[in-house]
Order: sequence, then structure tokens, then C-alpha cells
Amino acid sequence: MIRRRAFLASLLAAGAAPSLSWADAGSPAYLAAAREGDGGFALFGLDRGGASTFRVPLPARGHAGAGHPTRAEAVAFARRPGAYALVLDCVQGAVLHRLTPPEGRQFNGHGVYAQGGAVLFTAEQASADSAGVVGVWDVEAGYRRIGEFATGGIGPHDLRLMPDARTLVVANGGIATDPTDRTKLNIPQMRPNLSYLDLTGALLDQVELAPDLHRNSIRHLALRDDGLVGFAMQWEGDEGAATPLLGLHRRGASPLLAEAPLGDELLMRGYAGSIAFAGDGAELAISSPRGGRLHRFSDGGDFLGAVPRADVCGLASLDAGYLASDGLGGLIAVTPEGARALARHPVAWDNHIVALAGGTRPF
Amino acid sequence: MTRTLALALTLVASPALADVPNALTTHLLPGFHAFSTASTALAASARQDCRAEAVQPAYQAAFDAWMAVGDLRIGPSEQGALSIAFWPDDRGFTGRTLSRMIAASDPAVNDPATFAEVSIAARGFFALDMLLYDPAFAYEPGSYPCTLVQAVAEDLAAQAEALETTWAGKFTEALTNPGAPDNALYLTEEEALRAVYTQLLAGLEMTADSRLGRPMGSFERPRPRLAEAWRSGRSLRNVVLSVEAAQALAHALADWDLPQTDAAVAQVHFAAGNIDDGSFQDVTDAVHRLHLEALQQAVRAVRAALEIEIGERLGIAPGFNSQDGD
Repeated sequence: MIRRRAFLASLLAAGAAPSLSWADAGSPAYLAAAREGDGGFALFGLDRGGASTFRVPLPARGHAGAGHPTRAEAVAFARRPGAYALVLDCVQGAVLHRLTPPEGRQFNGHGVYAQGGAVLFTAEQASADSAGVVGVWDVEAGYRRIGEFATGGIGPHDLRLMPDARTLVVANGGIATDPTDRTKLNIPQMRPNLSYLDLTGALLDQVELAPDLHRNSIRHLALRDDGLVGFAMQWEGDEGAATPLLGLHRRGASPLLAEAPLGDELLMRGYAGSIAFAGDGAELAISSPRGGRLHRFSDGGDFLGAVPRADVCGLASLDAGYLASDGLGGLIAVTPEGARALARHPVAWDNHIVALAGGTRPF
Repeated sequence: MTRTLALALTLVASPALADVPNALTTHLLPGFHAFSTASTALAASARQDCRAEAVQPAYQAAFDAWMAVGDLRIGPSEQGALSIAFWPDDRGFTGRTLSRMIAASDPAVNDPATFAEVSIAARGFFALDMLLYDPAFAYEPGSYPCTLVQAVAEDLAAQAEALETTWAGKFTEALTNPGAPDNALYLTEEEALRAVYTQLLAGLEMTADSRLGRPMGSFERPRPRLAEAWRSGRSLRNVVLSVEAAQALAHALADWDLPQTDAAVAQVHFAAGNIDDGSFQDVTDAVHRLHLEALQQAVRAVRAALEIEIGERLGIAPGFNSQDGD
């Protein structure tokens, strides 16, 4: 453990090698994967007006990604069960590295850079029993696998770097899946949690929900600069249960569950696909492609309203509101005053929009 | 000969012209108007004589009118349909909320604005299904439940009117002006068309999976009490009316023939004719359950026919994200 910590510190000291910056890739504020009209897949850079700044073809459907904090370099993760991730040069459109998880591990769709971009952390699970693992990759050494540690739960999905830059927060979804497909194996026993780990893997804090909500899979995360964590959930219990799908947590305090009025909650169909804070941090939103709507909440958990849009899923911070993407190609700016279409691309946007450093907020 | 001619006409027809404005003017808006009229009559009937047997005919007529537009979940109906037809209700919200209101003689019944704020579970048709038909809720004129029935009927009429107004105004505007600067709901004509078309599929899915699937349960464990509106004997009627509504909307949307869809709907009528108990309470019997299964398959066949005759023709595929989450 100590050796790894010393090693990480030395990486930080080394700093990033000079390379092409995001400005060379057209200064995108966001990354988003999509299926194109011809059935192929690609990763796009988007500016704050919804225009595409670059496009890199992908060999298959992507899920989420992570942007390097300084270099025009992005990791695109395959969908679960992920056998690979691609490190892309977003200026040249070239594949720089192909990351493969070690034997017995699979990527779970999300990852995050840390230590100024010297290290990449990936959300993974053990193929055998879905035990959660954070994979550690040495970016400067050409994305070499240098270690791993436990996430403190089953089936982790999203993970983020806290604003202190020294703590990871992981959404352990709690669902064990078949290693060859996505069949869920343990729904009656699932126990999701939110775990805080230091960068060497020491478990600092762990939050579970009340027992009657043990089927509420904690899957996606959004962070505010002051350390407030929003978590979005997906209900694996009976349809129509109308359980809360958004939680707010601050380390050292109890989680707060944010509920919409019954009618609105039912329309979400027990499913939140993405989560983001508004650009000014005053509120946050979750999206439901199944319900074709997004829900806005105050940072105190009060319901602020719904915005309808078919097949909406991707969400990121934009100004005093959000950028929302959907399967019809739409990029919609949502503010407290209403929704406005920014652009419509001839693609189907995938589940997530990733905000880049220098974009709305760094991660 | 006729069939050959029809086929020939189909082949030379110009590219498919699906017509959202036509669907609005010939099916949707008249449907909401008829529902509003029937709900107003229901409220008047309850006001005049609140006894269950006196209100039941107007309740049945209003529910029939609702079924023509009741499966829509877009625009004002997305939210509006829930407080008009709060079903399915697996957790029993409606019974519990009504019992609580009656036990406390909740004064919300005395003011329409206050009543509009009560739980959606205690509003609309399914509150009336219980109050008018469940012996556990039997009441006398002049009692609290009598006033409650009047309040629910009054509130339903107000909801129906509001729904009609918003459909005819703001939402017709959104559907028929896609891509307008203030329209973030529909960015292109294709999106508006897709929105209406997917309602057809979703409504039929709901009928097959919930209206039929819930009471069918599993073979080992049928669940007759999960049938929709079984107290008021409407379970089968709602299945048939929902399919007829989808068929009518499909024809209003497409300006070409839908022979497979029509044939599939005829099969639904045939399968419905084999069912003895319109409340599906006989689903516990294996033979009767088989008849429900046949009806369920017939409803799914209507959906499949629409996918071929409208969806494929227009090149509309299912949602990218909604079909496949993570």
C-alpha cells in the first residue's frame, strides 16, 4: 500500500508531458458517444452551443468516457460487460491505446482521471462474482495497468474524483451480473452503497439506504465543488413503487432522498439514467429515457419541475442549467426558465454527456 | 380482383404521408371533447342524485368516452391521465386514501381547488370504481361518501375540460409547429409523428401487459383482483375499447390502408367474444385463463401489425436509450 502511494506521488511530481491540448480539438466542452445514421458509432466533442468540434469513429457502442484534464485525449468505455476501452487522440482521431482489463475483470462503463491526468481509475468488476474493483492505470507509462483495489461493493458503475482531488466516490450498484451478458443474478439480495475511498483504496466512508430501498441501485454520480454528491438510482423492485430516484449526500451526514410528487415519480418509471448539477450548482437534475423526461430538484431535495423530451438521457452542466441529449439527436438547453433546442444532429446520442475540464466544471 | 387493385394502388402510392394534423382534427380533439362532455354529464348526475346506482350509468358512459383517448401519455395527458385513471395501483393507494378521507371526513370535498390537491390516487375513475361499486364503501344519501362521490365527479369534469383545452391549444401548437424556436418538445415533423405513433404501441403494450397480464399473473398464481376496474365490470370492455381507439388513431394518422391491422383487430373481437366474465374474475379457471391468453396474443398481434404497416413504412425504430439502459 505504502509503495503504491509513493509511486502515485512520484507520478504527480513528474507532471504531464507536453502534447496537443483541447484547444487543438476545437475546445470542446463536452464528450458524447452516439450511434450514427449508417449504424456506426462515434465519439463527438461538443461545444457549449451544441455544435460538434470533433468526431472519432468507435468500433462499437460506447457508454461513458473520461477526458484528460489537459491533453486532447479521451478514454471511451465500451458498454457493459466491457472488454476494452479506447484512448483516443481527439485532434487526429487516432486510437492511442487499447485498454484491456486483466483476466477475470471487466470494465463497467465509467472511469476518471486523477493526479492531474497522471493516473486513470476505471470502474470494474470481477467476472466471477461481480465484486467491485477500481483499476489503476499509469497514464504517462502509456496506460500501463499498475494496480487495483476493492470498491467496497458489488457491481460498481459510476465513479468520480471528489473536489479535494484525493478521494474517490464510487456508486456500487449492488447488482451481480452474468459475466457473459447483463443478466442480473442477485436482485432479491442486492445491497447497493455509496463508497468513499482514498486514492490508495482505503475505504473512508460508506453509505447504505434503508432496507426497504435495497433494490434501488445507486448507479450515477454528480459532484458539486463543495463536496455535495448527487446520486441517481434505478429501481429493481415492483413497477409502480414510485421510490425516490435521487439522493444527496455529504460526507459525515445522512443521505437525503429527493422525491417528486407521486404522479411525476410514476412517470419516471423507476429509472434515472444520468445526473448533473446545474452550471451554477444551485440545483440538480436526473433524466429518464424510459419516462421521456428529466426532473429538476433544489440542492435541498425539493422538486422543482419536470421537462418532457422523448428518449432523453445524457445530462451535463450548462450555464445556470443543463445540457440534455437524446436518442433523436437533440441537444437541449434546460434552464429554470424553460427548455430550448440548441441543435439536432443526425445521430442517436448515447446515455451520457461527459463535461471536460475547462468546460463547465472539472472532474 | 378488389384485393389486386388495392395492392397495385399501394405499390404506386406516393411516399407515405402520415398526418399528425389530421389525427388531431379527426380523432384526438373530438375524442377529448366527447370525454369532457361525458364527464360534465357525470358530474351533473352525481350532483342530482349521489346514490351509487343513480351515478353508475353516467360513470360507465364517461369511462367509455375516456377510453377513446385514455391511453395517450404525451403532452397534457402525460401528467393528466394519472389523476383521471390512477391504475395500476399495486400498492393500493386508492383504497387507503379514500378510507382515510372518509374516516377523517376530509373537508377537501367542500372546495374544488382543495380537492384538486388531494392525492391523485383518490381522484378520477378508479376512486369512483371503488366508491360506486365496492360494498365496503356502500353509503347513504347525505353521508360523507356521497359528498365525496360528487367531489370526485366534479373534479373529473374539471380535469376533462382542462385537458381538452390544453390539447386543443398549446399542445396542438407544439405538435403542428415542430422546430419552432420555442418548441423544445418536437424539433422536426418526424419527431411529432413519432410521438403520436409510439403512443399507439405503448397503449397496446399496456393493454396486453397490464390490462390482461396483471390479472393473468402466472399459471400457478392468477391475480383476478389486479384486473382493471373489475368492480365496475369494465376489465374486458376497456381492453376492447383501447384496441379500437388505437385502430382509429392509426387510421387517422396514416393516409393508406392498414389491412393487417384491421384483420388483427377483428381477431381481438373474436377472442373477446369467448370470454364469459367481463371482470376477468374467472381467470383462476384454467380454461378461462386460456381465453385471456388468446386475447392477449391477439392484442400483441395488433401491435405487431402496426409496427409493420406504419412503423417500418415510416422508418421509425424504437428509442435508443429507453430500450436499453445502464
